[in-house]
Amino acid sequence: MGGAGSGGGGEGCSAVGSTLDPGARRRFEELALPHLASVYRLAVRLTGSAQDAEDLLQETYLKAMRAFPGLREPGRVRAWLFQILNRLVLDRHRGGAREVAYGDLGELDRFSLYDLISDEDPFPYSDRLHEDFLAQFDDEEVRRALLALPEVYRLPLLLVYVEELSYKELAEVLGCPIGTVMSRLHRGRKILERELWECAKRRGLVKPWQRRSG
Amino acid sequence: MAETKRVTCADAMRQFFAYLDRALSGEPLEALEAHLEECLACCDKLAFSRQLDAFVKGRLGEAPLPPRLEARIRQALDRA
Repeated sequence: MGGAGSGGGGEGCSAVGSTLDPGARRRFEELALPHLASVYRLAVRLTGSAQDAEDLLQETYLKAMRAFPGLREPGRVRAWLFQILNRLVLDRHRGGAREVAYGDLGELDRFSLYDLISDEDPFPYSDRLHEDFLAQFDDEEVRRALLALPEVYRLPLLLVYVEELSYKELAEVLGCPIGTVMSRLHRGRKILERELWECAKRRGLVKPWQRRSG
Repeated sequence: MAETKRVTCADAMRQFFAYLDRALSGEPLEALEAHLEECLACCDKLAFSRQLDAFVKGRLGEAPLPPRLEARIRQALDRA
């Protein structure tokens, strides 16, 4: 992996720091700065805070500049920047780097928000039950549900939702095989479904004690 | 005609998001589509998965780059 560069600014990169010659420095700015808005957008959704996102953005660009001499494919600089950001985030929250035991993974795979909504039937007179259920959540609740995901699931999900990366690009950014990308995206979405369900319970939208058996 | 491997509802569900992300191809795609043709319940669940994705994307909102941030980053690069 790491098709976008030499390990995405990983620890193995030679940290040449400010010794970039003026030409390389200019080239770095020409290539990397046009992606500021894109990297910032991802950082905001990832951290949930504009201040943290600004710090993360700065850290990403400083690390990227040091690693720039190792960038082999300048055309993929955006994916390379995401890769560096991903590494920074996972290093910062070491717990987030693991595929956590989120209950029983088999149980998570089988979790179906669709079925739960059908069973609970929170809007008995609705002919668009599932749509009406989703419409109850505001932007902030959805963002909070996403923030509840461990980083290892949140980042790939955001890269699909916000940046519309392909699975191949995701595999490069995350440094893992496409099969792993697929399972992380699946589980990330399942955890998100579960978080929305928990939010609905907290809000009293659904009443678990009325749940039908079977 | 080659025999397409049959998938269960549980298998199908595990592939919904890859299907929606257009990441499936070849035999797995054919097998899933064959299952969807005969399973109405999975079609409904797939439609909900699509709805959920669109819903979440729609709720993420914009996060425009603050006007002074590019200058801050340039300064940080200068100081490095």
